[in-house]
Amino acid sequence: MSRPSGVTHYQQKWKAKSTTRAYHGEQIREKHWQRMFRSRLRAEIPMDTNYLARYDGSELAAGRGSGREMRPKDALDLRTTNKKSFRIPYMHMTYAPMERRLDTAVFRALFASSARQARQFVIHGKVKVNGKKMPYPGYMLNPGDMFSVDPESVLFATGAPKDQEAIRIGRRLKRVQQHEARQEAEAQKAAEIRRTKALEAKHAQEEEENSQQEADAAALKQERENLDEAQLKKVQRKQINELVETAQVLIRDTQNEPSAKRKVELRSFVKSAKTVSNKMQRKDPEQVDKEIEELVTSFAKLTPSPPQAEAAKREAKALKAAAEEKEVLDAEFKKEYQKSLDAIMQARYAATDESKPYATPWRPRNYMSAFAFIPQYLEVNQNICAAVYLRHPVAKPNAAEVPSPFGEDVQQLAFSWYLRRR
Amino acid sequence: MPPSMRWSSVIPSPQAFTKQICPNAHLRAFSSSPRSNAGRTTRQRRLMFQWLDSQGAAFRDPLPGSTNYLSAYDNHGVLRRVKAGRGNNTSSRSADEQTASDELSTLGAKSNESEEADEASNKKTGGDENRLPPEGRGDRRPFPHNKSFFSEEVLSEEFREEIWRRIMKDGMSVREVSATTGVEMRRVGAVVRLKEIEKAWLSSGTPLARPYAQAVMSMLPQTQWNSAPDARKWHEQINSLPVHEATTLQIFEPTSESRHFTREDAAKAFDENLLSTDERIPHPEMVAKEKDVLAGLPAELVAERASAREDAEIEAKQKQQDRIAKKQAAIKKVDTGRWQFRIQEVKVDDAGADGRGPRGTGWRYGTPLMDRKRGQIKIPTRVD
Repeated sequence: MSRPSGVTHYQQKWKAKSTTRAYHGEQIREKHWQRMFRSRLRAEIPMDTNYLARYDGSELAAGRGSGREMRPKDALDLRTTNKKSFRIPYMHMTYAPMERRLDTAVFRALFASSARQARQFVIHGKVKVNGKKMPYPGYMLNPGDMFSVDPESVLFATGAPKDQEAIRIGRRLKRVQQHEARQEAEAQKAAEIRRTKALEAKHAQEEEENSQQEADAAALKQERENLDEAQLKKVQRKQINELVETAQVLIRDTQNEPSAKRKVELRSFVKSAKTVSNKMQRKDPEQVDKEIEELVTSFAKLTPSPPQAEAAKREAKALKAAAEEKEVLDAEFKKEYQKSLDAIMQARYAATDESKPYATPWRPRNYMSAFAFIPQYLEVNQNICAAVYLRHPVAKPNAAEVPSPFGEDVQQLAFSWYLRRR
Repeated sequence: MPPSMRWSSVIPSPQAFTKQICPNAHLRAFSSSPRSNAGRTTRQRRLMFQWLDSQGAAFRDPLPGSTNYLSAYDNHGVLRRVKAGRGNNTSSRSADEQTASDELSTLGAKSNESEEADEASNKKTGGDENRLPPEGRGDRRPFPHNKSFFSEEVLSEEFREEIWRRIMKDGMSVREVSATTGVEMRRVGAVVRLKEIEKAWLSSGTPLARPYAQAVMSMLPQTQWNSAPDARKWHEQINSLPVHEATTLQIFEPTSESRHFTREDAAKAFDENLLSTDERIPHPEMVAKEKDVLAGLPAELVAERASAREDAEIEAKQKQQDRIAKKQAAIKKVDTGRWQFRIQEVKVDDAGADGRGPRGTGWRYGTPLMDRKRGQIKIPTRVD
């Protein structure tokens, strides 16, 4: 920072600290940051394997302690000629402790469009650390911690916003869905009551017929079996629900509305899926699995296939012809099944779904690419909206890992401001 | 306290694209900003919209097939690498002419520039259509004032899949995969961990955030997987030495001139317990192997010694794990369903002479429990 006349060093430091704090954790109170601040600045120096193997370091201490005038040529090349590029920008690490915070890390992993939004996600329970809900935005991540954000929230944070018309349609849709859900719940409740009554009557009959002990043992056995199957059935039900939801999204699609014939087909698919879902409680899990597979393959035929997918299909067919003998039938079927699932997912993302809080089909927000970067201390998997905090950020020769829009001189002044107080 | 908002979101602006930034502003029935501020268009605001309309238009949408950071453009909104390519190939236009056209450059002008760039690159590469010149490291600085921050490459999807395959299918060790692909060991572990979850989602039918992943990956620089080991580009420096705090001070160490003063001695001079560089780097086995090669050992012997070292390391790790398991097994556990009680021997003396030592077990009379006190932070420090 060039020193303007009439500005004291103290004023410069104040100015630097207030400008930098407006970007680095402006959601945190100053006292809080002062407690987080550490004067220790982390750095790493890349080592050359070849150099380490050749020299034990004594060549640097030869002569009178600072190396000979004429050093071995390789050592000279490796260590000293690029001395200039060995400058470590320590001052850029001033705000490194801020990057450890959970909300900042969520923002840096590109799961939110600002640190404040990331903070909101954390508080609203959308963020998990190592698979457990973590509602504290001030949680300091430890190296190796994995954090994941609800994908719907990420799509909302990074996706283009809806326009007014879409918002209105979405609201109407929500109202209708809520009404339908309420009605369905009531119907289910009534059915449940009817079922329990019928069961009770049946039990009463059985009790009369069998001895008490035998019935108890049978019930216990039944219960245990149910427990084993319960989780599996839950997953299966979720799968079916996912398919039904996708089909309904495709029916509702306003942008490329399906033809009347397709609509009928989709509706009949929904009906058949619901039948499977309703009758699954009485069936074998394996039987249900088979039925789900049938549903997926039949649904994949209904989804519109874009021309790219068609080309890929042709290519895949050619490949298949080449390696037909090698492929095991079972594996092939699995692949085919996976492909069907992919096609269904693709169709869902390509459809216009006004029930979502972002513009559909999803596209990134404006001006996102200018700020899209992922620092090296994070490893991110965008598909599942999860990331691992690998290590604390470090400075390296000519590069610092803390993302900051400020130059070194400003950060140095800010650093010395906070250093003053310790 | 957050800084106060200066801009009212309902200010009508003559620029058409104000609508794009704040599409619903005109429909809002209320404004939280004071009346005196409304309707005032400051110079800064005007300049901002002017910039967004001219040079800033390039940042609205991602640049296909490339990153799109501020430092990649000059003050006139022209891609620096395109300009450099043009300077090399066609030097017919005078500099004045060039700046005049650059000043006019809007989105349309930019597409003209890129067309020219395409021509230039076509000449160079021999008919590759719609391709920008490759970006340099300087083009990957998102913050123009910060010369030390770069948007570093991320692993491409194919690269991640390959790492997962090597670990989970081929059964290679993390160390081995790291040394052969040039990816930090911690990153290798993280990639596999995340990939496992992704596969679990796929098999359970949970929808992945595919459109988001595709969009973000297209905006980031990537390290692509190359199956040929010689042509492979290393993702990052894998053998970095963390700067130890003890070594950040300069020290004066008097010693004889004839002494053979190695890295190990230097470490001892800094701190009694500090290990030498060769032991503190993440991949000491790479140095050991290199030493064998430099000693002129035959290739089979080098490989044999490397595998012996690896076996020794695995054995040491196994021993350590066994020790921990033994320690755990010594603790008596009683599971009540609600809670698992761990019963182990405790010494009364652990509490110290005054009975208030931090290692003492249980609640002691006269020692207050701090966790109910005001100002005690309850945020967990770790999640297992």
